Amino acid sequence: MVSLNTPTAAPPGAPAGAAPAGRRPALRRDGRYAGLFLAPSLAGLALFTLFPTVMALGISLFDWPVFGERTFLGIDNYTHLLNDPVFRRVVLNTALFVVLYVPLNVVVSLGLAVWLGPKIRGRQAFRVLFFIPVMTPMVANVMVWRLLFQPGGLIDTGMQSWFGVDAPNFLGSSSWAMPAIVAMSIWQGFGYNFLVFSAALDQVPQSQLESAQIDGAGPLQRFRYVTWPMITPSIFFATTMTLITSFQVFAQPFILTQGGPGVSTQTIVMYVYNQGWQFLTMGLASAAGWVLFVIIMGITAIQFVGQKRWVHYDV
Amino acid sequence: MYRTPARARRWAIATLSALALTAVAACGGNDGSGSGDGSGSADKADLTWSFWVGGTEDQAAWQKVADQATTDNPGITVKLQGTDWNNYWAKIGTLLASGKAPCIIGMQSLRLASYANAMLPLDELMQKYGLKTEEFDKPIMEGLKADGKQIAIPYDSGPMVIFYNKDLFEAAGVAEPKPGWTMDEFKAAAKKLTGAGRTGLVTTPGDLGVAAWVRTQTGAEPLADGKLALTDQKFVEGFEGYADFVRTDKFAPQVPSGSTDFETTQFVSGKSAMQLNGPWSLIDTKGKAKFQVGVAPIPAGPDGSKTYTAGSGFGISRSCKSPDAAFKAIMSMTGEKPLTTLAAAGRAYPARTAAHDAWFAAAKIDGAKETLDYASENSIPLVTSKNWVQVADLLNRFGTQALNGEIPPDQALKTIQDQAGAGS
Repeated sequence: MVSLNTPTAAPPGAPAGAAPAGRRPALRRDGRYAGLFLAPSLAGLALFTLFPTVMALGISLFDWPVFGERTFLGIDNYTHLLNDPVFRRVVLNTALFVVLYVPLNVVVSLGLAVWLGPKIRGRQAFRVLFFIPVMTPMVANVMVWRLLFQPGGLIDTGMQSWFGVDAPNFLGSSSWAMPAIVAMSIWQGFGYNFLVFSAALDQVPQSQLESAQIDGAGPLQRFRYVTWPMITPSIFFATTMTLITSFQVFAQPFILTQGGPGVSTQTIVMYVYNQGWQFLTMGLASAAGWVLFVIIMGITAIQFVGQKRWVHYDV
Repeated sequence: MYRTPARARRWAIATLSALALTAVAACGGNDGSGSGDGSGSADKADLTWSFWVGGTEDQAAWQKVADQATTDNPGITVKLQGTDWNNYWAKIGTLLASGKAPCIIGMQSLRLASYANAMLPLDELMQKYGLKTEEFDKPIMEGLKADGKQIAIPYDSGPMVIFYNKDLFEAAGVAEPKPGWTMDEFKAAAKKLTGAGRTGLVTTPGDLGVAAWVRTQTGAEPLADGKLALTDQKFVEGFEGYADFVRTDKFAPQVPSGSTDFETTQFVSGKSAMQLNGPWSLIDTKGKAKFQVGVAPIPAGPDGSKTYTAGSGFGISRSCKSPDAAFKAIMSMTGEKPLTTLAAAGRAYPARTAAHDAWFAAAKIDGAKETLDYASENSIPLVTSKNWVQVADLLNRFGTQALNGEIPPDQALKTIQDQAGAGS
């Protein structure tokens, strides 16, 4: 360790590569204190996040029943997953959910945020109203939607009395079940992004919009060339977070359809839950968890690289 | 802090890998020497009992059952640890695996095979303390065995029977079903009851229901010699007949996926005239329904009425430090007195024959005793495989598609067999 009072050894006009010796120890000391302050959360991160992640990687190399003998398999769990038609379908389902849900969520929440611009009366009340589904427990939301969707439910009886035809069996038909889950999820989840976008829109300086208007820009042009660039950081944040959470979708299909009919609404996290906690095969569950982890990591990395092209932080 | 970031990272990774490997190695040796529950002697012990409960009222009722153990054995106390049904099975799995499970474990007959390895066989204790097995319903006593060893002592049981809406039967001019009624009579009644927004039957592909409908039609069982045998010709035929209720006969509504309470809501709201259910739900259903509820045995196929029994009981974890005390507690908890109290409150159809009368008195349904005795005689326990939870899950998923006519029934069974057959 270098003491603080070490005399300056470097002569004046030393090469630029050698940092001034008086400055370095101070930096090091800062680093030490920073490390000290970070230690508790680093320890927590290591214990509760990194360790389980690495542990799961270890478990995924074993046939690991909750009871009974464990045997080392190497990558067999992964090859099993890749060759399992059910797991492949499960990955596709998750991708389908993401592809349907993320854009729709952003469009709905951004659309409503723009619509509820500063000039609307009672916008605070609307904001609260739109945020209510986010605050109510998911299980309660799903129960209500199930009563809407199921045969003899609200939509079905409504269609029968008005049009005299049966509604589709939303939760029992392989082609309707996923759209039904996406619809429910958007209703449940758009309020959060709506708040993020509302806050971002409020930050757009009125003066710039006005000068654009004086220059002859219409409402669409003002949105495209003034508002949009300024809210791109928020849109980036919202899409990244929504993408990550929608890859992890679990509660909606779990309660609404149990992943059925067949495996048409089973998602990766549901697969992990079932393998681990219902069928007690931890090895396969951990392997599937790692597959999801790698997918999310990859896509988030791509997003971060891609943001340079369209996100503007310099406003 | 003096290291470059890259070096620090390398160190962190190395440390974590070492930690993980140690953990893997440590967990690898499953010697079962965890710190189990209930240290003490045969006469004096504080025990914990893990069980599924529905809410605070439920918790209070079951704690009274636990207190019976202390009344009978002053040195023994039993503390109830309640969890809701779904979380219970996730929790009990980890507890049993870690060797830190409570002494007394609630166990359901359909799930028994998955957990039997971590449970103590009770046969020696039964002999030592003179438990009279003949006082219990035979099918459920059998149903709580794994590999011929008694794993749990039952508190409730019951054969799958038909619940029906007496008012709808009367309005449609259909004769009420009696023990011995046939599949043809059942189908004729169901068709007659269908119409005007109502259906004769409601069914979802739950394991007990499917197995019972298949067995009464063709006699086939889901397991043969402990191996899953869903693609056997007889089973396929029975399952096709069952799927036809929804698929072609259309006297039962299309099935939503994963809706466990669809059958009950549909029946209780008067939209469907019949459902197949266990007596454990009868008093609750009767309380919710705004019509007269009747019970009848499952209709008879070519070889008579055949159904399955399921039920639940209490067993002892292998890690329990004082199995003798735990067994004495279980004997008290499944004794005549607590089971009669539970029966009178309408909570469970008791596994003890002596407590049946209290339950029938509480149910107040004409012909219930005749029906249940008849069904019990014609029932066998649904013995399951180790991976039954997976089988039941797959049956629900692909059964829904088969019933709704999205895939052929034999293809549904083949998919289930391919997915789960190897692990049975």
